[in-house]
Amino acid sequence: MGPKPNARILRDISAREMVKQNEVARRAYLYVARNQALPPQVRYQAQLQLNNFHIRTRPSCVRNRCTESGKGRGIINEFGLSRFQFRLKALAGELPGVKKASW
Amino acid sequence: MAAITPSRLASLTRLRCSLFQTSYNPTSIRTGAKYLRSRLVGPSMVNYYPETLTVAQLREWSGYKWDLIDQQEVQRLEDIGFKKARGKGTPKKAKTPGDSRRAGKRR
Repeated sequence: MGPKPNARILRDISAREMVKQNEVARRAYLYVARNQALPPQVRYQAQLQLNNFHIRTRPSCVRNRCTESGKGRGIINEFGLSRFQFRLKALAGELPGVKKASW
Repeated sequence: MAAITPSRLASLTRLRCSLFQTSYNPTSIRTGAKYLRSRLVGPSMVNYYPETLTVAQLREWSGYKWDLIDQQEVQRLEDIGFKKARGKGTPKKAKTPGDSRRAGKRR
């Protein structure tokens, strides 16, 4: 059980849900809009439909945030943690295989 | 040795495509196939954050039979109450643009 999610995490969760719900439709429109074998009129209409989607349906709107603190910057993607939370957890021995370097 | 004509080369390419089940696209136009070919990212995107269990969810799950108290929420409301009592609460929402505090401000 993580901490209480802040507004930015909730926004990101909603974006992820919306991407999932609209992904197939978006892909279909993308296929039509980018297909040079189709008439320009059809491609243009498909592009207009793409522009009509909510901005949160775009996969690029989703950003990996820290799963522990919700921070948006300095995320180590392999663990889904910000660099400070990563340090705290690693020092506490909660990340298997992670060891402090010393030489 | 006779030169190989372009049409012969084209037919060779077409034959190669039919043999190896690739699409014959001599002019290299964009077909948009890559948007259909790539995997859907949505299902894995949804699973990024771990499941969280809140007091509100527990109460809903129990059909509002359990008398659970969210201590953090109680503390939050208490703090707001104290602040309001000292006149340090959030300002009232303006009903009309005239009531807005921005109206008096110089731009």
